[in-house]
Amino acid sequence: MGAIASILLSIALGCVLMIRFARLGELRQAPRWSVWFLVLGAGAACGMGLTSCLFFLLHSVPAPVGLILRLMLLAAFSYDCWRRRGNQPVYQPLPRPPYLPFLWIAFALSLLIVTNAMSKAWDANPQGNWDAWSIWNLRAKFLAAGGGLASRAWSPMLNFTHPEYPLLLSGLIASWWTDSGVISDVAPIAAAFVFFLALVLLVTGGIAALRGPTLGLLAGLCLMGIPALLTEASSQYADVPLACFMAGAVLFALLERPILAGVFAGFAAWTKDEGLLFLAVMLVAVAVWKRSALARFCCGAAPCAILALTFKLVIARGTHSIVSGASPLAALFDFGRWEVVAFTMVKEAIGWNIGWYHALLPLMVLALMLRFDARQMRDGLFCAGIACALLLGYFAVYVITPNDLSWQLQTSLTRLFVQVCPVVLIAAFIGMNAPPQPLAPVEPPAKKRKTKR
Amino acid sequence: MPSSPNLVNGAVIASAALAVLGAIQYWGAETAYQRDSPDVYKVAEQSARLADFRAAVPADAILGYLTDVPTESTVGSTMFFAAQYALAPRLLQKTDALDLVLGNFTKPGDYTAIGKQHALRVVRDFGNGIVLFRKEARQ
Repeated sequence: MGAIASILLSIALGCVLMIRFARLGELRQAPRWSVWFLVLGAGAACGMGLTSCLFFLLHSVPAPVGLILRLMLLAAFSYDCWRRRGNQPVYQPLPRPPYLPFLWIAFALSLLIVTNAMSKAWDANPQGNWDAWSIWNLRAKFLAAGGGLASRAWSPMLNFTHPEYPLLLSGLIASWWTDSGVISDVAPIAAAFVFFLALVLLVTGGIAALRGPTLGLLAGLCLMGIPALLTEASSQYADVPLACFMAGAVLFALLERPILAGVFAGFAAWTKDEGLLFLAVMLVAVAVWKRSALARFCCGAAPCAILALTFKLVIARGTHSIVSGASPLAALFDFGRWEVVAFTMVKEAIGWNIGWYHALLPLMVLALMLRFDARQMRDGLFCAGIACALLLGYFAVYVITPNDLSWQLQTSLTRLFVQVCPVVLIAAFIGMNAPPQPLAPVEPPAKKRKTKR
Repeated sequence: MPSSPNLVNGAVIASAALAVLGAIQYWGAETAYQRDSPDVYKVAEQSARLADFRAAVPADAILGYLTDVPTESTVGSTMFFAAQYALAPRLLQKTDALDLVLGNFTKPGDYTAIGKQHALRVVRDFGNGIVLFRKEARQ
């Protein structure tokens, strides 16, 4: 019960911050539900990120301080939102395509089915898969122990369990455990599911706001039709939280919310090493495609980026990392390694199927019939450029890794693809032609008043 | 240019239906997998085995580790990491050179004799292959 209250507090705090600062109500062309999806999705993700950061920064002070601080922030910003409640935007009802109810039913049905499947995974394996209990939840236990024991989460003595990894997920779980006073499976399971839900809400709401309700709901459906993503969510790994922050950063950059995009990119850097690469890629992409937003993007990203870099370069200095001990030049010119990595990546992309169903099928049907809109080229290239740069970065790390290449590819490539797949999906949906909307009902002209002569 | 309105409507419905079928495919695969492989790494089982040991050892302890399975094998590393997870915030190290050592054995045996080979004495046998050793004081 205590854990659930703490989880709800994190989500509520994030949502209130979104309502107060994100100005999402100004998206007048967006369907109203898409704005609420964005508030809930981004709010849940930001609330969890903020909870983790506060917990890490305050881990050496007595436990209730972080909880009290979050409660105070929630109360203060809730009051502020209530005070400003008169400034609610007025939404124009948009015309609805005839198949919209069918899409809503499909969306709800998909969510129900995947939630049921994940609940079976959590019943059978409540502690999650290997990395969940041997890395993320293990380090959460060290952090939750408090005092001097928290530093064991980044101790070099934690051989082969990546003490150098950033601590967003572990810090979040530790915070919920500390608040509730009980180390239970509820917190890591809730973190996995809420991040998955936040990702679905963000992508659905974001695409709906940018490209209309039909494409928004279809993007959400396509996302819930990616088996590898669903498997990773039930495994309680940090890759779905990272995918959520990456998708959020890209979507908010497209929605002209650069500070929020920066905040999401910063959270990504505090989630996993790949998030640091993402932050660098986003920085370049914003500098190239959205130069006027660069300063605001940097302001949003700075707090978490500084936290992540301080952790990597100062606090966890001297721990093993995936590229430490590598001799990059020798490996870089070993073209046999290039071939192995490229072949395995292509094989991975082809192999994202369960039986006859491939994750790309629904997207291909849409792309064939709707085709791409040249007017969306710029935004599409922005997203696709980020996805390609990330994949190139992963490719380079595989080429130079000092670990056994086959083992490294076998144990991590699917997860890396899972991180990038929402950005690829966003790129595809941003670039697609939106199905034609029915015309808005035309109001009959006002009757002319007869004037008496 | 997009295709004709009928084709577009058909594509939207087909794509949504395919995505739902994908979710159903995942549901089938996940259900079957979880039914056949609950707790593959026996993490819950290890936690139960180590419950009494955990209660007997202080939370800030750094423990050595002794086992009858090679720690580099799949079984050995799984046992080690599951024990580390169950015992955290206590730290486990793959060495017998520390003052307190966890014995994590798969088979019953003469743990006193095994300990002696590593200059360790048995402090307590918790049963089920779990033993707390202490380093023998140097003569």
